[in-house]
Amino acid sequence: MLTRRSFMQSSSLGAIATAMPGMRRAVHWSLPRKDRVLVVVELDGGNDGINTVVPFADEGYAKARKKLFLNPNSLLKIDDSIGFNANLEPFMELLQGGQLSVVQGVAYPNPDLSHFRSRAIYHSARLRAEDHVGIGWLGRSLDARTKQHPKTSHALFVGGGAPPIALRGYRAPASSLESVSDFTLIDSPPVMRGQGQPKARNLEDLVRQNLRRADETSRRLQQLVEATKTDTPYPDAPIGQRLELIARLLRAGYEAPIFYTSHGGFDTHANQLVTHGNLLNQLATSISTFLADMKKASVGREITVLVFSEFGRTVAENGSAGTDHGTAGTMFVAGPAVAAGVYGTTPSMTDLRNGRLRVHVDFRQVYTDVLNWMGMSVDGPLGGRFEPVGVMRS
Amino acid sequence: MIEADPWRRFDPNGWQSHHVVHLHRRAAFRATWQEIERDTRDGPDASVTRLLEGRSQLGVPERFDYVSKALGKHAVSRGDVRNLQAWWIYRMLAGADPLRERLALTWHDHFATSQLKVRDLKVMHQQNEVLRSQALAPFSTLLEKVAKDPALLLWLDAETNRAGHPNENLAREIMELFTLGIGNFTEHDVKEAARALTGWTVRDREFVDLDIRHDAGDKMILGEKGPWRGDDLLRLLLDNPATSQRIAARLCEEFLGSGVADDAAIRALAAGLRQHDFEIRWAVETILRSQLFYAEGARNRRVVGPAEFVIGAIRALEFRKPMPRTALLADALSRMGLALFRPPNVGGWNGGEEWLSARALVARTNFVCGLISGEATGRGPLDALSLVQRHANKSDLEGCLDFFATLLFGKPMVASERDQIANGVMASKPDEMAREVVALLLASPAAHIS
Repeated sequence: MLTRRSFMQSSSLGAIATAMPGMRRAVHWSLPRKDRVLVVVELDGGNDGINTVVPFADEGYAKARKKLFLNPNSLLKIDDSIGFNANLEPFMELLQGGQLSVVQGVAYPNPDLSHFRSRAIYHSARLRAEDHVGIGWLGRSLDARTKQHPKTSHALFVGGGAPPIALRGYRAPASSLESVSDFTLIDSPPVMRGQGQPKARNLEDLVRQNLRRADETSRRLQQLVEATKTDTPYPDAPIGQRLELIARLLRAGYEAPIFYTSHGGFDTHANQLVTHGNLLNQLATSISTFLADMKKASVGREITVLVFSEFGRTVAENGSAGTDHGTAGTMFVAGPAVAAGVYGTTPSMTDLRNGRLRVHVDFRQVYTDVLNWMGMSVDGPLGGRFEPVGVMRS
Repeated sequence: MIEADPWRRFDPNGWQSHHVVHLHRRAAFRATWQEIERDTRDGPDASVTRLLEGRSQLGVPERFDYVSKALGKHAVSRGDVRNLQAWWIYRMLAGADPLRERLALTWHDHFATSQLKVRDLKVMHQQNEVLRSQALAPFSTLLEKVAKDPALLLWLDAETNRAGHPNENLAREIMELFTLGIGNFTEHDVKEAARALTGWTVRDREFVDLDIRHDAGDKMILGEKGPWRGDDLLRLLLDNPATSQRIAARLCEEFLGSGVADDAAIRALAAGLRQHDFEIRWAVETILRSQLFYAEGARNRRVVGPAEFVIGAIRALEFRKPMPRTALLADALSRMGLALFRPPNVGGWNGGEEWLSARALVARTNFVCGLISGEATGRGPLDALSLVQRHANKSDLEGCLDFFATLLFGKPMVASERDQIANGVMASKPDEMAREVVALLLASPAAHIS
């Protein structure tokens, strides 16, 4: 059996020594603004905004939605024209409690109906395909501070798979985890110890860089999470579990400025009604549990949750009680720092463009609000300036 | 001026054992010492032919077909996807045709279908057999079989696509993911293609084309008007050069990594595909016999995927008697990001550098430690020493370093690298020392790229 020391002293084919978790000096993760945390929740697959915040007073609603029609009496009315899907009760409470902003009619000019293209647009904050180079808006925003604070500009994706494009920068590292056990090294792991941050000149350097990152992430997570457990019951759904993990990390003092997670299953081409209702309920319950838990925990950081999806869905339902890929959708921004209310314009269900919902708010406007709140620059991450919507108090 | 053929053949006179190791890392699940010796002796022509004909692996269990069938059947009846994953891993590990298994995985990624939604292991198993049997077939055949595959049709909601009630899901993904690629069709094409596909559905786990549900009207697809049906749509898509271009690029990515074949090379391969009846076998053979495939500059340009990483290590180290517990290996692959039969979404796995996330690298490192200790295989510690003794007649540190570096990476290390590995070895007992050398090499950056 290999020993810790053996890996410490050994190296791999490259010219770099290896190190063990816990053997290196502790890394200090201080932030210039450690008091603010952004948690992004992506609704994967394209959320039906129409049945999320329902325009019940729009005469087009009952015409377009038959099997997917939600009776106005069942809705949680926000005003005399729109109401939350009944599964969003926790969102109603957040809205009334001053902790939720709802932005209606969000997309971008000439919406694309491909999951991949539209996701790339939301993640990169760039409309043109040639600008989709695997670098994202949050990654870029972290890049800007990586120069000054190389140790602090870390983002964490909680979920299956690699960090999403949104989090990737040229310099800023992003890690991912599904659960803490994923990062438990069962035995002496060989990882790289280099002189400074190795620059990735070729694939082998990149591997070396990633091995070091893996070691660091592993070590920090072990230290941080082992001690924390919350007694707040979170929903069993994956989104609930993921937000609970983020809560544990925050309680443990994990200082990442940005967390990102996803809630999948929104590509409801068939039999949407029950599936969609359940997904919304899981989303709203998980987020409100998370915010309440964080308030109780008083981690000393203000938390804002941003919820988006790559597109909304078709106005009319299809032949299988589902909906196909559409355009404008709803974004949510939740937390103690928001200026609660409804923003944007609820798209008309009769005055359409190419048979699809009109777009009233560019998603980059909402990003602008969030970046401003985080104290981050806007131009680089978004590739330009956009009028903020005003969803944040400060 | 005549442009040099980007796919000109590799000169057999330069053939060395490191070429063999490279070939098997890229197109199989590594090679055993015996296979390396055999292929070094027989030259590139015979070696590539053996791979293409599915007889490159030595030591295939006598009852392989029988056991594989039994395992597949067992998995389906148990209804647990983990058993089906284990079945496939058994095939990769023990079968005679690693190239075909690797291509089946490529096509599983290309036509990504997930058990999470399909919820029927029998059709998932059937689909996998189609991907395997057609892995080297003309792409037109593969496409047709998969487009009419029950698992795929369930996955993309074909059932609900009927005349008057089109469901665009199947049409969109056929165009965007399976053939043309994004940017080569319009939203109108998607709508019209969905109409052409009306009537295609699944009954009793079989494909059926129901006239009563078909929209028989004219459709305008990619500028061609006619009363197109599903088969016409596939023909229109195959005739479009964007499809051959895309498949050529995909195969280059698979066997060469990204950025190795330039545009001209991909265009030439795509043109060749069209001339050769779209035969995947022709394209794969062209790549594997090319100068480009073996060129120095084309080495270490590809990230090793989880299946190659795990199966390759076990194969090269001859850890096959008793066979490792394949369900444990399936779990290891899942932790590395490759949950077989459960791709993350319709686009499949992103692959490439995404295999190198922190979590995946922790999982890979844990696997290496578990491989030598026995935890990853469930079959006790790896007997690395006897391998060196048998093949190199050595049992000292020096001998181990040279042997395993050659077996795993094709060449002995240069002195400085060798010293560093040697310094990492703590054990003094020869069997432990040999195991440590293996672990240090398999956990090194070089093991994650090829």
